[in-house]
Amino acid sequence: MYDWLLFLHLLTAFAVAITAVTYSAVALGAPAGGQAVRVADVCWNVGGIGTLVFGIWLALYVDGYEVWDGWILGAIVLWLVATGTGERARTQLAEGAPGMATTHWVRTLAVLGLLVLMVWKPGA
Amino acid sequence: MSLLAAIRPDDWNLPLFLHILAAMVLVGALVLVATSLAGAWRGGSAAAVRLGFRSLLIAAIPAWIVLRATAEWLVSEENLDDESPGWVDAGYMISDTSLLLLIAATVCAGLAARRADRGEVQGGGLSRAVVVLVGIALVAYVVAIWAMAAKPS
Repeated sequence: MYDWLLFLHLLTAFAVAITAVTYSAVALGAPAGGQAVRVADVCWNVGGIGTLVFGIWLALYVDGYEVWDGWILGAIVLWLVATGTGERARTQLAEGAPGMATTHWVRTLAVLGLLVLMVWKPGA
Repeated sequence: MSLLAAIRPDDWNLPLFLHILAAMVLVGALVLVATSLAGAWRGGSAAAVRLGFRSLLIAAIPAWIVLRATAEWLVSEENLDDESPGWVDAGYMISDTSLLLLIAATVCAGLAARRADRGEVQGGGLSRAVVVLVGIALVAYVVAIWAMAAKPS
């Protein structure tokens, strides 16, 4: 059970990474339209829900973790930041509004912060 | 059991972080390559072909190098050098084989980008070849992610 939860948590985290890489390419000047961005947006939806659901499931399943542990609460806050900025970046890109790159880099920093918390697990 | 599975020495954290980050950039770049070139062969722009080529050259291959180097670092930290378990062998086999796929895909994507720059047909067969090669690599990486998570031995 633990193995499958971790696998699905990781797999959905990779979906988030697909979005981060694609939007980084756009922020650096790659063509903004087309299939790549559509796939990235779908991955963001799947990855966003999946990382949260399987992450909380893992926290409940593993004996040494609790959902109210500091590093897990920090991860949930970063997840909310990433979700908010990710949604904003998507809207800005679709409308051609300025500031998409900045919003995206904030989202990417939040995703990197999530990875740091998942690996180091401060306080666990 | 689930508690034991979640514990690891602090010394492993930095190589593990870099290993996962490189794997994420690699998979993200390969999906970007596949979606760009799949779009290009269905009548997309030359810019999409160039994006696919650059994603392989600038993101995927450097990420593979970091992934492989940090894998060695982790194996060394975990003292798995002598008798490596099955999941480590699976990781090596998948990563080493996938490098050949990545090199072949980069060469094909480079040729497709060159043709696109000259205003010829947008890649066509070359773009399809890249999508197939990258697709095989991505399937292998999903197996690798499962092996790293489940650690069957």
